[in-house]
Amino acid sequence: MIWWMWVLALFFMTLGIGVVAPIAGVGGGVLFTPLTMAFYPFSTDFIRGAGLVMAMTSALSSAPHFAKKGLANLRILAPVVVVSIIFSILGGIIGLWVTNAFPQGKSYIKIGLGCILFVVFLVYLFSKRVEFPQIARIDPISEKLDIHGAWYEPSLGKVVEYRTTNLLFALPAFAGVGFIAGMFGLGAGWANVPVLNLVMGAPLKVATSTSMMIITINDAAACWVYMARGAMLALIIVPSVLGITIGARIGARIAVKSRPRSIKYLVMVIMLFAAIMDIWKGLHGLGMAPPI
Amino acid sequence: MQELEVKPETVESVGAELREVAIEPMNYMFGRIMEVLTVVGLIVMFVPGIIYVVTGKGFLSRELVVKNWGLKASAFWEKVMGIKVFGYSWFLSHLNAMDCLSIVGVCILAITPLISLFGAEIKADSKYKVLIGILIIEFLFAIFRPILMGH
Repeated sequence: MIWWMWVLALFFMTLGIGVVAPIAGVGGGVLFTPLTMAFYPFSTDFIRGAGLVMAMTSALSSAPHFAKKGLANLRILAPVVVVSIIFSILGGIIGLWVTNAFPQGKSYIKIGLGCILFVVFLVYLFSKRVEFPQIARIDPISEKLDIHGAWYEPSLGKVVEYRTTNLLFALPAFAGVGFIAGMFGLGAGWANVPVLNLVMGAPLKVATSTSMMIITINDAAACWVYMARGAMLALIIVPSVLGITIGARIGARIAVKSRPRSIKYLVMVIMLFAAIMDIWKGLHGLGMAPPI
Repeated sequence: MQELEVKPETVESVGAELREVAIEPMNYMFGRIMEVLTVVGLIVMFVPGIIYVVTGKGFLSRELVVKNWGLKASAFWEKVMGIKVFGYSWFLSHLNAMDCLSIVGVCILAITPLISLFGAEIKADSKYKVLIGILIIEFLFAIFRPILMGH
């Protein structure tokens, strides 16, 4: 295939991801990184670098709007990101070390990403989201930090006030999420939202919006690790980010009108397919499976 | 029986009251700075980036990139430019090249949360000043780690 065909294919793939992601309620990075690793000739280092820039850019575009509406809240973000940012940097360092120190490092990364995708698939399949969780008791640290917020909810026609809890239980989860984001070049909203919503008891809209804010910081910190090792190529980043930026605007408009469940199932099938492809390719790289 | 008259302005004012949410200054400041810098970063990334993709002229020749984009990052830089990359001089020293300018756009995007945190720090209460302060230090560590530690 001629080089510009790869670049165009990348642009149209990310455009498609941008359109379906908001409709299906998933982030772009979780589709981009595994699909690109499975089907494109680029090194896993450059793919993860581009994946981080893509996830960060998408989050940067939406987080300010949520922050100014009271949905994304620094009171929730600050204590959890103090932990996750360090693990995100660590994930980036270890992720690049694996591919550069071991001859078959990229195969380990592909297998690891495939396994993570299976987890993501299961999370989307089974996790229940609670629109307005009821909190029985606020933990002492959340109480001391006075974690609270409010936003105007148009569907209820009133201002909703909320508090969160279980901060200590959420911290290890965010450490893991940060590590995975840095190591595999993902946004990891799929993990942030359930932890914020189901563990900390943040209302679903607040969890989704604050997750975007968390992604901006975690992924930006990991981006510096990839940038410092030269794992960023304009030829891969520019068409990817351009595609998802345009696609996301189209997708967001469609999502406001209708969110057919069939799209969500289609995305889940694609995710599962990418997971199988990544694991297979990784095993092939280790000489444990025949070529596809 | 006296009919109860509801004036439209009364309804409006009740609606306005219901919608009134006091956005915390630190959240507002964080969002506002992020909004502006994201636009700047995207422009700096896209304009030179598109020129580079179309013309192929930059610090890294497009043909060489295409030939070697399957190599891991360290091997790529050794083969294409004969250098080991630790830090940011690989693009900061070549700001006349379109591909490097495009990476500067990525830099602006990646520094945006840090500057937004600085803005939020000013408006935060004492507890959050400490937490956001720690976040800022961690972020600065992410940026300067390669320069200070050399790997």
